[in-house]
Amino acid sequence: MKYAFYPGCVSRGGCPELYPAAVKVAERLGIELQELTDVGCTGAGVLSRDISDPINTRTFAKAERLGLPIMTICSTCQGVMSQCNARVQGDVEYLARLNREFLAQEGLEYKGTTEVKHLLWVLVEDFGLEKLKTLVARPLNGLRVSPFYGCYIRRPTDIMTKGFPGRKGYLEDVIKIVGADVQDFGGKTKCCGFPILTANEENSMAMVANHTGEAKEKGADCMVTPCPLCHLNLDGQQPRAEKMKGKQIGLPILHLPQLVGLSLGFSPEEMELKRHFVDTQKVRAKLQMLT
Amino acid sequence: MPELIADVLVVGGGAAGMRAAIEARKQGAEVVLLSKVHPLRSHTITAHAGINGAPAGGAWQAHALDTVRAGDWLNDQDAVEVLCQEAPRAIIELDHMGALFNRDGQGHLDRRRLGGQSAPLACYVNDMTGHYILHVLYEQILKSAAKCCDEWFVTALLVDSGACRGVIALELLTGKLHALGARAVVLATGGGVRAYEPSTGSLGTTGDGVALAYRADVPLMDMEQVQFHPLGLGRNGGLASEATLGEGAHLFNKEGQRFAQAVAPGMAELAPRDLLVRAALAELEAGRGVDGALLLDARHLGKDRVMTRLPQTREVVKAFTGKDLAADPVPVRPIAHRLMGGIHTDLNGATPLPGLYAAGSCASTGAHGATRLGGNTLAEAVVFGRRAGTAAAAYAKTVAAPRGSDALLKDEERRIALALSKGKGGESDVRLREELGRLMMEKAGISRDAAGLQEAVRGVAALQGRYAQAGPRGPGGAFDGGLVAFLELGYTLEVAWAIAAAALARAESRGAHWRRDHPERNDAEWLRHTLVVRGAEGPRVEFRPVTVRQWRPERRAY
Amino acid sequence: MQVTFKVTRYDRATGEKPRVQSYALDLPEGATILDGMMRIREEQDPTLAFRAACLRGVCGECTMRVNKSGKLACVTRVASIAKNNEVTVEPIRYIPVIKDLVFDMEAFLWRKIKAVEPWLKPNGGASDREHVLREEELAEVRKAMSCYMCGLCDEGCTVIAVDGGFLGPAALTKAYRFVFDPRDHARVERLRHLSEPKGMWDCTHCFEANGHCPRGINPTDRIFDLRDESIRRGVKSGAANQQVARHYDSFVASVKKSGWLDEGRLAIESEGWTNVAGLLELLPTAVKALQRGKLPMPYLHRSRPGAEQIRRIIERAEGKPS
Repeated sequence: MKYAFYPGCVSRGGCPELYPAAVKVAERLGIELQELTDVGCTGAGVLSRDISDPINTRTFAKAERLGLPIMTICSTCQGVMSQCNARVQGDVEYLARLNREFLAQEGLEYKGTTEVKHLLWVLVEDFGLEKLKTLVARPLNGLRVSPFYGCYIRRPTDIMTKGFPGRKGYLEDVIKIVGADVQDFGGKTKCCGFPILTANEENSMAMVANHTGEAKEKGADCMVTPCPLCHLNLDGQQPRAEKMKGKQIGLPILHLPQLVGLSLGFSPEEMELKRHFVDTQKVRAKLQMLT
Repeated sequence: MPELIADVLVVGGGAAGMRAAIEARKQGAEVVLLSKVHPLRSHTITAHAGINGAPAGGAWQAHALDTVRAGDWLNDQDAVEVLCQEAPRAIIELDHMGALFNRDGQGHLDRRRLGGQSAPLACYVNDMTGHYILHVLYEQILKSAAKCCDEWFVTALLVDSGACRGVIALELLTGKLHALGARAVVLATGGGVRAYEPSTGSLGTTGDGVALAYRADVPLMDMEQVQFHPLGLGRNGGLASEATLGEGAHLFNKEGQRFAQAVAPGMAELAPRDLLVRAALAELEAGRGVDGALLLDARHLGKDRVMTRLPQTREVVKAFTGKDLAADPVPVRPIAHRLMGGIHTDLNGATPLPGLYAAGSCASTGAHGATRLGGNTLAEAVVFGRRAGTAAAAYAKTVAAPRGSDALLKDEERRIALALSKGKGGESDVRLREELGRLMMEKAGISRDAAGLQEAVRGVAALQGRYAQAGPRGPGGAFDGGLVAFLELGYTLEVAWAIAAAALARAESRGAHWRRDHPERNDAEWLRHTLVVRGAEGPRVEFRPVTVRQWRPERRAY
Repeated sequence: MQVTFKVTRYDRATGEKPRVQSYALDLPEGATILDGMMRIREEQDPTLAFRAACLRGVCGECTMRVNKSGKLACVTRVASIAKNNEVTVEPIRYIPVIKDLVFDMEAFLWRKIKAVEPWLKPNGGASDREHVLREEELAEVRKAMSCYMCGLCDEGCTVIAVDGGFLGPAALTKAYRFVFDPRDHARVERLRHLSEPKGMWDCTHCFEANGHCPRGINPTDRIFDLRDESIRRGVKSGAANQQVARHYDSFVASVKKSGWLDEGRLAIESEGWTNVAGLLELLPTAVKALQRGKLPMPYLHRSRPGAEQIRRIIERAEGKPS
């Protein structure tokens, strides 16, 4: 199992704990990663598609040349790339224009064959949950985890989940396989608010407070997300959201590879839980009881 | 004292009403657009197939002849001339307002052929022409700053000293009745096809304006002419747009024959609707249907064309039959669709009652004759809507603000209170409506005869009597849908009675009016309109000559 | 078919708390939710209030939340949606209810539609003939305008869920219809207007609207189209939310410089170097991040190997609006 690894900006910027966690987990599982180092930012839904489509098409071409599918560890990267891939795969003329105008000058051409998969999909569809189960060294029994998908790994549905109905439950599947309990809640596929942190901070904070607050009230010990941008808001902005909304929440937010890594036996230190804004002490305490 | 709310009060928010309101605003009138549903929910939205108008450089006369031939020479040809001469300009005007008509390869308005057209006449937007026209007109209403009274229901016209000076209307939000004064009133309330069951009519096509005018002693013209549509989907509201046939879909019987070819060799499925419907009925009666239906087949058009040109029809067909228009033959059967007749008006929408105008499907200018040419409904709405708006605004400048007492308002309050009081223990108006629909379908439907029509007249009269003793079940007040439905049924009964009476009177077959007992057209006696006038004992039928200009009556053949 | 309708009842006039009322019905096969509602009103409870019009799913009037999902009642078959012979019927969310299933569209959607000046501002053209237009210019505008204003995209909007003032996908789709109509002259003016706070830049592009739209219009993509066009025209934000434009420019500058995103720089530049108060607001977060060893150091991050190519692509893309 080998992938062209696209870590994204945030996994080494705003969430530097994510990159090492993902790499360690992949290594432990025997998933070989060849990092794409000379590729650009996906645009994150911020950059105009006039700009981001050529950049992403270039990324696809690089992976295509390697003969590898791309693996992401960020739902936003995943979503933006999946959308772009669908656009260029569905419109031969458009792809030809992008190749001609943007890729040809460095001798690249994208033929439209690259698959882009998030680590979550790789775990379930390629690696296999049963196999993962056999590698769980420390079942996270008793840990109540709320899944937070956010938007980009779920929608638009005709691109992200069509043909893969199970993708709507992969997070829950993984939570269960690592021995933890799923704490369902209404906000799990809603927006975390990060995309409008600049445009409308108040709305963004309301979303943070609503989702983390709801999961907390339902009894979650923590939340897990496949998206570091969601993490930036749900974890990084949670203290501000608490202040703005005048309520105490304190819900730790784990990255997907951190949750998996802990079950594989990595220590909280190795998964760098201390780098989170919201104190992860409760999660660590529960883990200590397990070991 | 009725409060003066407008120079021109337009009742009805469909294409005709909005076009009238826009024009009256342009003439400087203060305008109120009052509608029992939000304008965007008007029945115009179901006019899918197209809007007729001769292409630039094309002759409007060809459109006129198609219209007259479809109408079986019952048309008033002066009205046909106005319709066909002005429709091209009305379409271009819609284009300038922002309508999104399909284009041909050169970027000009494309046209498709609909039933009864010898050449393509209908501009269209896929299979949603009415939707786009309605939405574009509403955009213009917002731009015009006409005042909108959405969800107000008219219960009576305010007639004083021989002129219409406003309306009594129920504000659904509060359940309160108001007397609304206006210098002129334009009725644009649409048709009344819900006198039949099933029909393609929206919930509200209950003939309100037709009955309001009739109750104010305005005559109704050509009421016997009721159009059935061959592509019904078996229950209320269910219709596969004629756009399917315009795009080239076929109709088959059980034996796989395109039966329309036999009745109209030159046009087959593009024959006028009345011919197609009678042919369909004959097939069904001869046992050549499939489970009581014929099959609409669009498969040969290919999935792409169905998806791009008929997307909404595909949705509707799916919802009603579970079939995929692109992949399956669709069972269809005739269904009551439109009234050709309505409030008798002149070419400017004026009724014999000063101050009262009418336009669109509730009106009868005489343009349609005995069968409405597919695609003429929307053309009529914008052409005559505009004319009515102009005329009403001009009239409004000549009259003083309405005066008068609250007597009518008090009468209406009493009438409604009385009905509400009867509703608790009395007969259910819902049953009455169902009985009416069945009666009209069976006795005054596609195939008629004197005995049946007499039963229809007697039957409607009896239902009127029972209605007078019935009442709505609800308490009145805000958003009492049962009360509105009850009052609507009162209107529909008037319409039904007028249809039955006029149909009994016309002892010939012409256009949609097909009498088994008089199977031939009879120009010597019947080249004249029926005019239904309210009498003490029910409707009285009078007659009026047909205006014939350049198109002398011929045998109608396709 | 035996089925129980559990209908949420409410009357603004009394202001009493909404309550759920159950009605047992025997409906024919193929009956729709609207058939059921009519039957209740006619036979069991004449006080039940709801709206309906076209009866065939083309006018957008009878939206209701059926078994927790926004539907047009007239084309939703009871058999297709009932669970254990039950359906719940509620008003759609985030909208002021007047009575039962009758809600205040003026307060919800109509006022927002009006706010986008929803009429063509014609760029001329001889009034006695049609505009000559290619089908390709019209197809997407036509698709957007096939919206029948049912309100279900707004009902599914994650921003409206927290802020009823957000313009929302339906009104933005209406705006799209003018911005991209080749006959409209006010494109830039409209984009400016839509860029003000509560407009298109407040959209989180969560793609919920796409899934909620019964017509397949994909409102979220329309909003992206508006944004892209806005960027092409150099609008990027309104006058009252210039941080949005700064954010965009900084994002582009960062990717141009290094091929990837300089988050520290983005945070600072979005506030604006001269915006002392805004910058101070960043401080507590920055300090916390520093303590946790995760403060992305602005302007210091390394360029990627492909940075030069990326820069060239961006410059090329910026110079050539499609």
